Amino acid sequence: MIKAQIKKTKYGLSGFVITGHADAAAYGQDIVCAAVSALTITTANSLSQIAGLHPQIDQNETQGGYLAVQLSAVEQKNQRGQILLQNLQLGLAEIANEYQDYVTLQS
Amino acid sequence: MLKMDLQFFSHHKTGGSSSNGRDSAGRRLGTKAADGSAVTTGSIIYRQRGTHIYPGKNVKRGSDDTLFALVDGIVRFERMGRDKRQVSVYPEAETATK
Repeated sequence: MIKAQIKKTKYGLSGFVITGHADAAAYGQDIVCAAVSALTITTANSLSQIAGLHPQIDQNETQGGYLAVQLSAVEQKNQRGQILLQNLQLGLAEIANEYQDYVTLQS
Repeated sequence: MLKMDLQFFSHHKTGGSSSNGRDSAGRRLGTKAADGSAVTTGSIIYRQRGTHIYPGKNVKRGSDDTLFALVDGIVRFERMGRDKRQVSVYPEAETATK
């Protein structure tokens, strides 16, 4: 089960933490994992490449199954950053809704 | 930039094992002598599990349900009843006089 958590502060969305494994299928065929991976990794990369921010990123590179992205208080006021995180929230919410056995979203 | 690993949230990241992956070799069942072909005594006509096809005239069923010829002759696959099939072997002389 993948647990997704979108973090908020008074400035808006501040980051996200994704933990766990989907276990929807064997390694290499797990479409739920692929969807969550694509969405979250793209968001993390877009925060720096598109919004020009420097989020704090922490991940488990060897075993996977853990990705944490955190914006600083100043960066949380960046509009592009907010749009990217809202986009992620929307996507994760839809995936969690369709694949409830494999993904939960807490926001 | 993070690497786009589409299986980042998938288990057994480093080559997990699975308990499947075994199968027995194919048993090569089915027809061994076609309809109208000539066979000799003892020739195997049809390999099967259970009686997919029944033994007819001059044909016997072995212990593994294999059908084989009791005489030299011509193989004939025939209907048996409404929905069953049987195979018979007719000696050449008999088929000539038919």
